[in-house]
Amino acid sequence: MQTAFTTAQLERPEIADAAAILKDCVHYGFCTAVCPTYVLLRDENDAPRGRIDLIRAMLEKGGAPDAKTVGHLDRCLSCNSCMTTCAAKVDYMHLADIGRAYIERHYRRPLGDRLLRALLARVLTRPNRFRAAVRAARLTRPLARMLPKRLRPLLTLAPSRLPAAQEATRVGTYPAEGTRKLRVALLAGCVQQALAPRINAATIRLLTRHGCEVVVSDTGCCGALPLHMGREDQARALARTAIAAWRDAERGGALDAVVVNASGCGTTVKDYGKIFKHEADIAEMARSIAARALDVTELLSRLALKPPARRIPLAVAYHDACSLQHAQKVVEPPRALLRAAGFRVLDVPERHFCCGSAGTYNMLQPAIAEQLGRRKSAHIEGTGAAVVAAGNLGCMTQIGLYSGLPIAHTVELLDWATGGPLPEALRGVALPAPETENAAVPTAADSNAVW
Amino acid sequence: MTSSNLTAFLKDCERALGAENVTLVEETIKRYGEHTLPAADRRPGAVVYPGSTAEVQAVVRAANAHRVPIFPVSTGNNMGLGTRAPVAAGQVVVDLGKRMNRIVEIDEVLGYAAVEPGVSFQMMADELVRRGGRYVISTTSGPPQGGMLGNALDKGAGYGPMFDHFGFSCGMEIVLGNGEVIRTGDGSIDHPNAPNWHVSKYSFGPILDGLFTQSNYGIVTRLGIWLMPKPPAVRSFHFAFPDDDDLEAIIDLCRPLKLANFVPTLFRVSNDLYLIGNEDVYPDYAKTGGKTSISDAQRKALQAKHRVGAWTVSGAFYGPSMEAMEPQINRVKQIFLQSGKAKYIPHEEALGNPPLKTAIDSFSGVPTHGELGLLKWRPGGGNSWCPPGTPMVGKIAQKFHKVARAIYEKNGLDYTIMNVCGGRFARGLHVISFNRESEDERRRADLTYKQLADAFAAEGVSVGRSPTDYYEYHMAKLTPSFRNACNAIKNALDPNGIIAPGKYGIG
Repeated sequence: MQTAFTTAQLERPEIADAAAILKDCVHYGFCTAVCPTYVLLRDENDAPRGRIDLIRAMLEKGGAPDAKTVGHLDRCLSCNSCMTTCAAKVDYMHLADIGRAYIERHYRRPLGDRLLRALLARVLTRPNRFRAAVRAARLTRPLARMLPKRLRPLLTLAPSRLPAAQEATRVGTYPAEGTRKLRVALLAGCVQQALAPRINAATIRLLTRHGCEVVVSDTGCCGALPLHMGREDQARALARTAIAAWRDAERGGALDAVVVNASGCGTTVKDYGKIFKHEADIAEMARSIAARALDVTELLSRLALKPPARRIPLAVAYHDACSLQHAQKVVEPPRALLRAAGFRVLDVPERHFCCGSAGTYNMLQPAIAEQLGRRKSAHIEGTGAAVVAAGNLGCMTQIGLYSGLPIAHTVELLDWATGGPLPEALRGVALPAPETENAAVPTAADSNAVW
Repeated sequence: MTSSNLTAFLKDCERALGAENVTLVEETIKRYGEHTLPAADRRPGAVVYPGSTAEVQAVVRAANAHRVPIFPVSTGNNMGLGTRAPVAAGQVVVDLGKRMNRIVEIDEVLGYAAVEPGVSFQMMADELVRRGGRYVISTTSGPPQGGMLGNALDKGAGYGPMFDHFGFSCGMEIVLGNGEVIRTGDGSIDHPNAPNWHVSKYSFGPILDGLFTQSNYGIVTRLGIWLMPKPPAVRSFHFAFPDDDDLEAIIDLCRPLKLANFVPTLFRVSNDLYLIGNEDVYPDYAKTGGKTSISDAQRKALQAKHRVGAWTVSGAFYGPSMEAMEPQINRVKQIFLQSGKAKYIPHEEALGNPPLKTAIDSFSGVPTHGELGLLKWRPGGGNSWCPPGTPMVGKIAQKFHKVARAIYEKNGLDYTIMNVCGGRFARGLHVISFNRESEDERRRADLTYKQLADAFAAEGVSVGRSPTDYYEYHMAKLTPSFRNACNAIKNALDPNGIIAPGKYGIG
């Protein structure tokens, strides 16, 4: 695609970056068929190539964007399904980031929208504030009808039970069991700390069991949530704090990997190199952290899973979080690990499609998110699985709104299989009898007697 | 067609389909007119979205009443062959993919499905997974969102035992150009249930199904498609050959293995750029301005980088386990390695090489994006596909290869081909990648296509499919009596010539 930026515009790094991305789009349109909002709304401007045109026009024109453009970009999930299918390899992820940051700087949203976004950015990134907000939401729930419509999705998403604050992951070093093979940092996260500290606990048990010394630093939020909303300055400030924390951690010994167990965060941490490429004081360290960032299943695949302590042939529907499958291209490792642990892994139809969680999307675009959530849950339940596994808490929460199936993080299942406690989601669930190590796992194809 | 005709036609469509299923929105119209061929875009007059056979019938009747030409599309992208742009600007696109995307039936006892035009390879693969994975589809190596029905009707193909997508279809429902609805095969019996409709091709009367491939006599709204029981294991094999002239030997090695059906898949015999282009781009494009073909030295360097040969042969076996296929793999190795030039690439290694992984997926019935990278070999998005073919005789294939390579190089483009080989015939998928934003490259791409068509026609060879822009070019090379017969059928079934006039040179 040809662009018409002026020389002065191209001197701005973000415009130069956008121009380089825009030239790759040639309107093939493969993206439309896999874009959830296009499939639901059938509007060219709610498909990636339409949004790419809108971003180009917005940046070329300069000044305040129009409400129509903002609306179409707001409806983008940033699931990056388009990037998986794009033949021209357009870097839509970064173009959307540039577009959102531009809107944040140049567009004055209606008051309610401004307040909601500010609230989310300030609350979700701080576990203590998040806990207080959840308590407030629980108290307010009976009054939901009296609240502004925009706030009601927050009440729906607020959990009815919150783990105690002392369950949050402690900062410190967790020694490896047996010989130390690796020294790794674990991103403890923000929302996850408050909502499901059990995921970090399972991760630490699993990694130490596999010979990793695990370092948890006071990183705070990695910046993913505000970045998703276009709040670039806040995202950078948070990311700087995280990078500084890991730099400090390296004083106690080099880190072999930075492990992330929330895939939305993993995408951002892996992107630190690009996020800070124009900031000389931190660019090198950011690149170095990004190069070592791994989803927890990537690291475990490299280490090879220990033989399971118990092989439970539970039918597990594995849900691919968009940030894992589309942004990080991590598709096989979680499946292979779950299979190695003895589970029957089932693929979910339409697995390339987003569940509607998408960071803060289900709070900001609840109607579309609900359609996607229901669609995903119906596909998951159609597999006949006994449990759902996913690598991202956001997806787990979203699917849980629409599905009655128990949902566990992939690491909880792997931890359980290799000697850890029963995942919380499986308490009270009737489990199949354990198998012996050499028992053949039945596959659908075995039912074909020809073979 | 006048604008008042179009307005009256669209009013009828709005009444039959609902106003929300008729569009004149600028962004939509513009995008439907876009394509990747050398010629300019062709804007449709409007786009309409029927939701059922009855609604298609209403659209066809309205088109007849107002003499408005319509251009039906199923779903997917038809990349390199014309995309969704109509044969001529102003034709109204009838997009069947938006609403007619139901899997009407899957029979897991007899192994067939019946689909509407909007069902993609990915949708069917997902549904078969959801049902427990007893069956797989034959899929192209094109995009997962490609349409099963449209691909079969355009004589598209996969790579496994059911590669012939029209051949493995059975039973159609069609809205003819005159507005009548017919069913083919046993579907035509005057009975509400026809148990043999999608299982028997040979029923009473002539086999009409073939008339609706690559033609414009009717709009197919339902198609039966046969499914393949999923084998427990798929084990591929690959051989890299170092020299361009090795094609002759390769073809002669593949032929007996396919004639005996010792190898159940087709052979994918890809040249270097067909595989490298999945992952890489023309390295010297900026330096040469795209005016010259890639050099032999650069090709050699890229072959080493991507661990492929000047030619790479891929095939696969199906069996109860990977180990059980060891004897077949050993036999194929023995045959190919006796040439003294082949390098064996085992399945496990190929899984880690993206272009070869694409081959494995396509043998396994797994829809894949892998090959789409080819479209980015040169910038600017231009892409045409020219698929002539060759008998499976090494000397003939080698001669065709030399002629085609010389044409690409004379025009400063990059020879890119995959020969998809059966026992008697190989389809040569020639990819012409060019910068559509450069007038000079558009001209050279157009020349390359026409010179290929001319050169093959001079050898008595036509193409298996054609990009929209070259329908007339190819039809003009056939005998007048063939064209007359096609037009006579057109006049009989679509007397007002309202369905895609000009498609495949008919009407």
